[in-house]
Amino acid sequence: MSIFPYFVSAWLFLIGLYGVVTSRNYVHLIGCLTVVQAATYVLLLAVGYKTGAGAPIFADHPPGTPAVDPVVQALVLTDIVVGAAVTALLLSLVLQLQKHRGTIDPNDLQPTRD
Amino acid sequence: MNHPNRSIAFIIMAVVLAPFVVAGLWTLPPFGSYPGPYGDVINAIGTSARHITNMVTGVNYDFRGLDTLGEEFILFASVTGVVMLLRGARGEAKSAAALRIEHRRREGRSEAVAGAGRVLAPITLLYGIYVVLHAQTTPGGGFQGGVIVFAAILLAYLGEGYSAWRRMARSAVLDLVEAAGAAIYAVGGLVPMFFGARYLENILPLGQPKTITSGGLIAVVNLGVGLAVAAGFSSIALELLEETRTAGDDQA
Amino acid sequence: MQLAPLPVVIPLLAAVVLLAVERHTPLWLVDATGILTALATTGIAAMLADKALQQPIVYWFGGWQPASGVAIGISFVIDPAGAMVACFSALVFAGAFLFGWNYFDDAMARFHILMLVFLGAMTGFCLTGDIFNLFVFFELMSVSAYAVTAYKLEASEIEGALNFTVMNTIGSFLLLAGIALLYGRTGALNFAQIGRAVASSKGDPLLAMAFALLFGGLLIKAAVMPFHFWLADAHAVAPAPVCVVFSGIMVSVALFGAARIYWTIFAPIQPVTEVVKSLLLYLGVATAVLGGCTCLMQRHIKRLLAFSTISHVGVMLAGLATLTPGGTAGFFLYLAGHGLTKGALFMLAGILMSAHQNIDEIALRGQARDLPTSGVCFALGGLVLAGLPLGLMNSGRELIDKSAEGTHLWIPYLLALGSALTGAAVLRTAGRVFVGLGPDPGEEEQSPSKMERDKRRPSALLLIPVIVFLLLCLSGQARLVEDVALKAAATFTNHDGYATLVLGGQVPSIPTPSAEHSGPLIDWLSVAFAVVVAGFQLGRHKTPRCLRWTADLVAFPFFKALDLAHTGHIGDYAAWMTFGLLLFAIAFVW
Repeated sequence: MSIFPYFVSAWLFLIGLYGVVTSRNYVHLIGCLTVVQAATYVLLLAVGYKTGAGAPIFADHPPGTPAVDPVVQALVLTDIVVGAAVTALLLSLVLQLQKHRGTIDPNDLQPTRD
Repeated sequence: MNHPNRSIAFIIMAVVLAPFVVAGLWTLPPFGSYPGPYGDVINAIGTSARHITNMVTGVNYDFRGLDTLGEEFILFASVTGVVMLLRGARGEAKSAAALRIEHRRREGRSEAVAGAGRVLAPITLLYGIYVVLHAQTTPGGGFQGGVIVFAAILLAYLGEGYSAWRRMARSAVLDLVEAAGAAIYAVGGLVPMFFGARYLENILPLGQPKTITSGGLIAVVNLGVGLAVAAGFSSIALELLEETRTAGDDQA
Repeated sequence: MQLAPLPVVIPLLAAVVLLAVERHTPLWLVDATGILTALATTGIAAMLADKALQQPIVYWFGGWQPASGVAIGISFVIDPAGAMVACFSALVFAGAFLFGWNYFDDAMARFHILMLVFLGAMTGFCLTGDIFNLFVFFELMSVSAYAVTAYKLEASEIEGALNFTVMNTIGSFLLLAGIALLYGRTGALNFAQIGRAVASSKGDPLLAMAFALLFGGLLIKAAVMPFHFWLADAHAVAPAPVCVVFSGIMVSVALFGAARIYWTIFAPIQPVTEVVKSLLLYLGVATAVLGGCTCLMQRHIKRLLAFSTISHVGVMLAGLATLTPGGTAGFFLYLAGHGLTKGALFMLAGILMSAHQNIDEIALRGQARDLPTSGVCFALGGLVLAGLPLGLMNSGRELIDKSAEGTHLWIPYLLALGSALTGAAVLRTAGRVFVGLGPDPGEEEQSPSKMERDKRRPSALLLIPVIVFLLLCLSGQARLVEDVALKAAATFTNHDGYATLVLGGQVPSIPTPSAEHSGPLIDWLSVAFAVVVAGFQLGRHKTPRCLRWTADLVAFPFFKALDLAHTGHIGDYAAWMTFGLLLFAIAFVW
């Protein structure tokens, strides 16, 4: 099926979201966010692919040889690095949560209502 | 909602959404037949316009350079947030030297790990610098190379142990390098404006393709990104490692 | 022409410079740098707006002009609307920096660095003409917001920050997925180019899904129901100057971004237009009313103000969803008026925290009698929120009401109901805290209140930005401002004009549309209703029992259900978000 990679992306998105909704541990939740992020990367890269084309690097072969789309690759690579940093920020928040409250289970924490 | 109810509610909603998602994805161009003009145009003009052979780098630092400036600042903001959150909680005054954990059981450092770290760190560092510098010619660039340099720094931690590593990786220095990286990018884009060009317009000599001095401005901003990424991730690693310690006197 | 990148570049450069010298700079210099940078950005954006009113500016970064209809680089498309919203954002930041004077003394300069980056991202978001660039600035805004909320977190506040961060992160993933779908279809990232490429299609499931994803992500940021749960948690946690920015401008700018995407890409697509006019209009009205109801139930003053923001965001969304120049112009005016008023109210909440170290309405009862000016300003803010017929917010409301009347006659009344409830909540707080009205806390349920430890600062100094903001809001010269807003809206809603402007061709001149606005009857009704509700809540113990019982019987189950929905659990928030996406899907089929 020629649109199978898109379904992989949709599945990853939904399963990651399911993980977020039913998570019992904030570190697990952040992992699920990473899965959702991966889903968007798969979608972007799949959209830019050309069958039979090579990488958009013309060091070994001359410009003009069929190459895949470099734009999505550029978007995804910056996003991956930045996503790692944002995950670090999220994990620091979870660290502080563990230190102050002793638990990282969303179900155990008091609801934030007054 | 409690846990089982939430789980069932989500599954029901996802099942109802599924046909819509399938219908939406069905009308995308089939996988492997990218039709659109953007990528093809860039592949066609990249080498002639900017003397680069890595089109991805061209997109990142030249054609869509403003995006990368934004991404670099996202990195910058995340690192600042991590530092503010973790170091701020511990107190700025204690950040100058390594802290010591009090009642935590000390694992001995395995000699194999230390040796491997000591051998691999400089090799990885060299490789990282190679990847950063060859952004315009072969796959690589500031982001990828910066992360490899960060890996080298972590290997140095494995090789040397925390206190010694802490003396090398000073938070003040890392902050400065990260600021320098971000500044190189922002100012590097500003300089062409003084010569009548647009922001981030490439006015430096373009050099020969397949050399590390090709691409003009790309080489400069790429360096800035490499510095910022390496220093930023090292700051994050430093803060997270400091978290495993509590205040005490400074001993090796 | 070369001013175009400066509203983004100047704050970012200032942030970097501050980071380099932070260890050696005294706090007053850091504060001053923040204020001056924000004011400079305001000035430059105002100059750009002035130029754009004659002729919108298109600025291609890196010198990459488009080649035969294919955009190669990233463009800033500076039309009057974008420039004015950017200018206003910078103004709100200047006020927030001024209010934050001498507040952040143990973070070195990091708070200011993050706020400057936030400002740069926000102006970029308003000015950009490229959808992935929009996403990058959206991400940058979000990450700076997460980082800035994390300042001095107490134990009980970290869940609030986590809820905020997780929900907005999911929002950015939705946005990126939508961008990927549009890119797959059109192979372009430039608004005008995408718009041209999809204009010929009659609307298919792909575009519907892309629309749902893009709007889902942006509506999370805009805190429209049912995506709104994170806002109150974030406001309860963040320091007061940050709340000024969140409520004053961040949520409104997200709506602005959504509107921009609609008008440049989806406007000619019939199914999408139908969904906007129906689903988004009803969501806006529902948000306005339900936000107002939830607002009325809060004790924590910052959460109360946060829910009032949600309610007013509903009004703004309703205005946009009418898809008329009048409604859009109303949105711009309301954005400015609400931003100023809500900013002033949050600053007043900050003054209360600084002077009395508490933010719970019940615990503060009668405590703030020593702050009469603040009390007057607070009550004035409440009246403006309720719909006092004076100033920018009211001009906007009247334009929105008139264009919403065209769809359904009862919409303006519901919007007024929502605003009146928020005004009532603020007036009730003003009465209780500053005058001491209201039943003795002994009669209320004894639930623990939140203790907020906050730095004490002189209230007189802190009142300056409050008064400036309120004066700016109330003194908006009706005719002049409306004309500017209508001209901006005309350019903003012109799909074909935008495409020709960016990709070449004749730029059509657009006549300024005239728009009628509704009379002040609804406004006075709304203010009266607000005063009555506030009075009832304050004077409950003096009203006859049967009246109290009837009110409780009518209102209690409804309010209790609303209260229970806000559990604070991140899984619930994500589930509600999925429900919202489902609403989009169903709307397309209907």
